[in-house]
Amino acid sequence: MTTSLVWWAISIYVLLALVIAFLSRTGKQHNMESYFLGDRKMGGFVSALSYSATTYSAFMLVGLAGLTYSGGVGALGFELIYLMGVSLVAFFGPRFWVVGKKYGYVTPSEMLGDRYDNKYVAIVVAVTNCLFLIPYSAVQLSGVGYLLQGVTNNAIPYTTGVLIATLLAIVFTYIAGIRSVAWTDSLQALFMIVSSTVVVLILVNGLGGFTTFFETIETTQPELLTVPGNGFFSFLTFLGLTIPWFFFSLSNPQVSQRLYMPASLKSLKNMLMGFLVFGFIYTFVAIIWGYSAAIMFPNLENADLATPLVLSSELVPPVLGVIVMVGIMAAAISTIDSILLTLSSLFAKDVYGNIKKNTSDRLQLRVGKIVIPIIALLAYLFAEMQLNLIAVLSVASSAGLIVVVPAIIGTFFWKRGSAAGVLSSVLVAGIIVILLEFFQVKPFGLASGLWGIGISTILFIGVSLLTKAPEAKANEFLTYIRQALKKES
Amino acid sequence: MKTNELTWALLILVIVLLAFILPYTVLANVTKWYGSFLLWIALALITIIMNYFLTKNWGKK
Repeated sequence: MTTSLVWWAISIYVLLALVIAFLSRTGKQHNMESYFLGDRKMGGFVSALSYSATTYSAFMLVGLAGLTYSGGVGALGFELIYLMGVSLVAFFGPRFWVVGKKYGYVTPSEMLGDRYDNKYVAIVVAVTNCLFLIPYSAVQLSGVGYLLQGVTNNAIPYTTGVLIATLLAIVFTYIAGIRSVAWTDSLQALFMIVSSTVVVLILVNGLGGFTTFFETIETTQPELLTVPGNGFFSFLTFLGLTIPWFFFSLSNPQVSQRLYMPASLKSLKNMLMGFLVFGFIYTFVAIIWGYSAAIMFPNLENADLATPLVLSSELVPPVLGVIVMVGIMAAAISTIDSILLTLSSLFAKDVYGNIKKNTSDRLQLRVGKIVIPIIALLAYLFAEMQLNLIAVLSVASSAGLIVVVPAIIGTFFWKRGSAAGVLSSVLVAGIIVILLEFFQVKPFGLASGLWGIGISTILFIGVSLLTKAPEAKANEFLTYIRQALKKES
Repeated sequence: MKTNELTWALLILVIVLLAFILPYTVLANVTKWYGSFLLWIALALITIIMNYFLTKNWGKK
C-alpha cells in the first residue's frame, strides 16, 4: 500500500465527512439540549447508525480480530454476549427516554443526581466517567496511530496518525455538536460496514470459499474453534472480559446518553433494532477477518499486527485495502468524537453546573465547548505515552465504568436506593478497580471488572439499606414512569 | 416491571446463561464450525428476534 494512496484516501474521507458535518447544521445550537441532544428530535435511522459507529471502534477490526487470531472462537462469544447485553436497552431505553423528556435531563449522571436527590451523586458519577473514558479515547487514538504506521511501513509515523485522529474528532464535534457527530457517524458507520464486509467476502473467496476456509482452520488450527481452545480464553478470563461489556449499554455514558435523543419511542425502537443488526454483521466480519489472518499469517508474535498484514496482503486489492483502512480510522474517530461530546456535557452540566452556583444554560454550553479540546488534548497525551495492547486497556475502562451499573438499575427498579449507597459503591469500587488495574493483580483469578460489579452491588444495597432513601422523589419518579409507559404502549 | 417484560427478561437471561455454559462444557471439544461458532451465532440471532418482539408495539399509541 503506497503512502500517497493512503493520503489520497484520508483526504477524500475527510472532505466527505466535512461536507456532511456542515450539511447537518440545522437549527440553533444555542442551548445544552440542542447542542448535546439534538433537541431530542433524532430519527431512528441516523440514531441507529450513530449508535453503531459510537459503540464500534478501531477495537473491532484490530483488537477483536487480534483476539480471534490469538484465542479463537472465544472472541466471537465475547462480542456476541456483549450484543445480547444490548437487550438492556429494550428495558431501560424507554425509561431513560420518558424521564429525560419529563425532567429535561441532558446527561445520565444528571439523572442519577436528581433521582437520588444529591448533587454529589451527579458530580462523582460524572468525574468517574471522565476518569475511565479518557484512557478509552486514548486507546482509540493510538489505534489510528498504529494502523497508519503499520499499513505504510512507518512512512506515516505513529504521532502523525494520532494527531490526525485528534484533530478530526475535535472538528466533527465542533461543527454542530451532536448533529455533526451523528451525521458524520452515520456516514462512517456505512463506510465501516460496507468496506469491511466486501473485503471479508474477497478474503473468504480467495481462501477457497466458506467450506474450505473452515476446513483449513479445522485441520491446521482446530484449537481456534473451541474454548478454552489454546488456553487463551480460560473461563475466568472470558467472564472477566464479557461481564463489563455486557453492561456497556448502561455503563458507558456516550451510549446511554443516546437514549434521551430519539424523537419518539418508535425512533428508539428503530435505533435498537438497527444497531443489533449492524452489530451482528460487524462482529461476524471482524471474527472472519481474524480467522483469515490466522490462516494467512500463522505464528505472528504480535496479534495487533494481524490486521495491517491482511490489509497489505496480495489477496486484497490495494484500493480496497486502503478503503478498509479508512473505515477502521473512521470507526475510531466516530467513537472518540461522541465520547468527547458526552464528557464535555458531563463536565459542563454535572461538575461545573453543580459546583458553581446559578450558572445559566448558555454559560454551561460555553464551558462545555471550552472543555472539548482540553479533553482531546488529554487523550492525545495519553496516546503519545504509547500504551499498547489495545484490547486490555479498552476492557480496563469498561471495568471501571461498570461500578455505576447498580446505581443505574436502582434508579428505575429500587426505591430504597440512597445517595450514600451510590456514592460509596461508585467511589470504593472505582478505586478498587483502579488499584487492581494499576498493579495488574487478579485476586482469586477474578478480573477487575468482576470485582468492580461485585463490590459496587454489595455496597449499593448494603449502604442504601442503612441510610435514608429519597422516598418522595423515588415515588414521584417511578410513578411517572409507570404512567408514561402505559400511555406510550 | 410489567409481567410481559419480566418474561422476556428471564428468557433472555436463559439465552445468555446458555452462551456461557454450553461452549465450555458440551462443545469444548467440538473443533468444527458447527460447534461454539454456530451456537453463539444462533443464540445472538435468537436474542435479536426476541428484541424485535419485545419492542414491536413501541410508539404504536
